Amino acid sequence: MSTFQQALFVARKDLLLGWRARTRTLAVALFGMVTLVLFSFAVAADGEVGVSAAAGFLIVALLLSSILSLEESFRLETEDRALEGLLLLPVDPVAIFYGKAIANFVLLVLLGPVLLPLTAIFFSLELDGANLLSLALLWVLAAAGIAAPGTLYASMTSRVTGRDVVLPLLLFPLTLPILMAGVRSFDLILRGDAMSQLKGWTLLLAAFDLVYWVLCGALFSRTLEE
Amino acid sequence: MTPSVITRSLGKRFGRKWALAHVDLEVAAGQGLLVVGDNGSGKTTLLRLLAGLLLPTLGEVEILGSSPQQPGSEARSHLSLVGHQGFLYEALTPLETLALWNRLGGRRKSVAELENLLAEAGLAADRDTRVSGFSSGMRKRLSLTRLDLENPRVVLLDEPFSALDRAGREWLLSTLSRLRAGGAALIVASHDPQRAAPICDRAVRIERGQISWQGSLGDLESAS
Repeated sequence: MSTFQQALFVARKDLLLGWRARTRTLAVALFGMVTLVLFSFAVAADGEVGVSAAAGFLIVALLLSSILSLEESFRLETEDRALEGLLLLPVDPVAIFYGKAIANFVLLVLLGPVLLPLTAIFFSLELDGANLLSLALLWVLAAAGIAAPGTLYASMTSRVTGRDVVLPLLLFPLTLPILMAGVRSFDLILRGDAMSQLKGWTLLLAAFDLVYWVLCGALFSRTLEE
Repeated sequence: MTPSVITRSLGKRFGRKWALAHVDLEVAAGQGLLVVGDNGSGKTTLLRLLAGLLLPTLGEVEILGSSPQQPGSEARSHLSLVGHQGFLYEALTPLETLALWNRLGGRRKSVAELENLLAEAGLAADRDTRVSGFSSGMRKRLSLTRLDLENPRVVLLDEPFSALDRAGREWLLSTLSRLRAGGAALIVASHDPQRAAPICDRAVRIERGQISWQGSLGDLESAS
């Protein structure tokens, strides 16, 4: 079995566990929705300011929801030391990382169809087909940029006391480039791209994704050492 | 003949406390070694070091000529560990659990073969029940099914008889006897030397992380 096949098998296992614990998965989506509701009440949700804020709130809602999703992913691994059971097999740790990161990525992407329409409603966004497609693509890139470092840090903090606090403290600073590039890109789609900056920001987002997926995969086995 | 398991001056420190220090062991193929000691003496740490789940602070471990410390290493494909934890996912069924270990372990057993393993473990009727609904004895049986699935050359067991009923203990003993007869080296940490007696011929006593006595199983009682 190749490393790629092992990764797909681990991802399948994680998605199955996510489906079986779907009440918890739904709670993550609900948390994202509540976050957006709070933001929409906290800031004037109409006019230019509202449109500008919507981009930021959407990515922040994704980031906050991701913490719950990532913690759950490793709670299942530590419950009966199930991850150790996998490590006792001749499995490449890189496969475990990419399997778990792919599953986390899929779960974050699935928040898109929930949070994007809600943002459009709360912040009175006018979206056409082309805008929606661009937003969906950016959502995928933003989710990828959070899933890889999130998986690495969730693994690191899974055996730490107070991991609920430690994980966001470690993850949020690292995702600042994703936050910045994501917010700018979303904003340019929603308010228009008069200076043709969208391509540059999107490429920056994709570049960080690539760096994170390569680097975190290489570092993952270090997080397993005791 | 080269021993299947060798430790040289093995030690592990957690913070300031040495859980294990200067442990030298050799277990040959087909041998059974019983590890006894009080709670907290270092038995579980020793088994986790042998399985490569812990990095030693001192010394080294050799399993069939290579180190098990590296995840995915060759040594890990020849060893099985069944400990206090079952390494189980609560939301998976026994059949899904075996399928996961089977595929990720690089084995190609069919579903029918996996079902047979479950039947031998007495879990055939519960093949589609999630592990979260299992009793501790059923969990133990499922964890121990790993031995039949992996057919390892080095078997590491931490309190293998706990939570098992009489039929479960007999099934486990027959599995271990078969593995041993096939050349597997067994290392069994147990508080119950009498139950482990049929599969072990040597014993070591660990006290405060160090080997305080070793000899034949027959001499263990008089040494206590």
